[in-house]
Amino acid sequence: MDILENIDAWWAEFEQGWMAHYQATGETNWKIYNRPRNKTAPAGPGIDVSRSRLALISSAGAYLKDSQEPYDAENDLGDYAIRTFPSSTPFGALAYAHTHYDHAAVEADAQVLLPLRHLEDMVSEGMIGELAPSVISFHGYQPDVTRVIGETVPAIIAAAKAEQIDAALLVPA
Amino acid sequence: MEGIATTLTTWNAGVTRLTAPPRGTFTQLARGSTVGNPHDAAQQRRVLEATLGLLAQDAPVDMVRLREAAE
Repeated sequence: MDILENIDAWWAEFEQGWMAHYQATGETNWKIYNRPRNKTAPAGPGIDVSRSRLALISSAGAYLKDSQEPYDAENDLGDYAIRTFPSSTPFGALAYAHTHYDHAAVEADAQVLLPLRHLEDMVSEGMIGELAPSVISFHGYQPDVTRVIGETVPAIIAAAKAEQIDAALLVPA
Repeated sequence: MEGIATTLTTWNAGVTRLTAPPRGTFTQLARGSTVGNPHDAAQQRRVLEATLGLLAQDAPVDMVRLREAAE
């Protein structure tokens, strides 16, 4: 199943519209941005979460501030790389490189975007089988969907397979 | 995602719906506070439990509205 239906048509419209405007003016114009659309959602069987390994996938731009490079948050064309860090990471070890949301809430209480301590509690309570060793993190400002599909998604899938996860919780910022 | 059951929660139902996710919940929470308001652990747990609860269902599942709002 295609991640984005009609990707060629999407790219043509993006290239001739949003990207052409950006290249001509240096401005990002969201009024002409062609949002990705699918008609059909992916199908798949339900699972028993209490017997599953769950990974948190976050687009909040979180990274380990002492050992990882921040995302290129100032890049109008986006950053398509991922980072991973241990699910047990103390929140104080994280920073957020993302200029498209207000960080006040996540800096006051990281659980609003990275609910790791809640997920740990849910494992202890038997609601979740286990938490994947790592969080899969990326920077959610990614206007070029072809790069998301070509770069970000394969990296996320590789990380997810390396962690042998059964289920994923995506929390966009 | 290639045999991995996925679910999400979002404050931005309009844009998310366009992409046809397999499972998800939506709220009236704020950008940057997707799981709940800061320090409202009970609300954050409600959102998580509802969102993870969808994993038991075969996909696709219609997005589920949660009556959770910003402060």
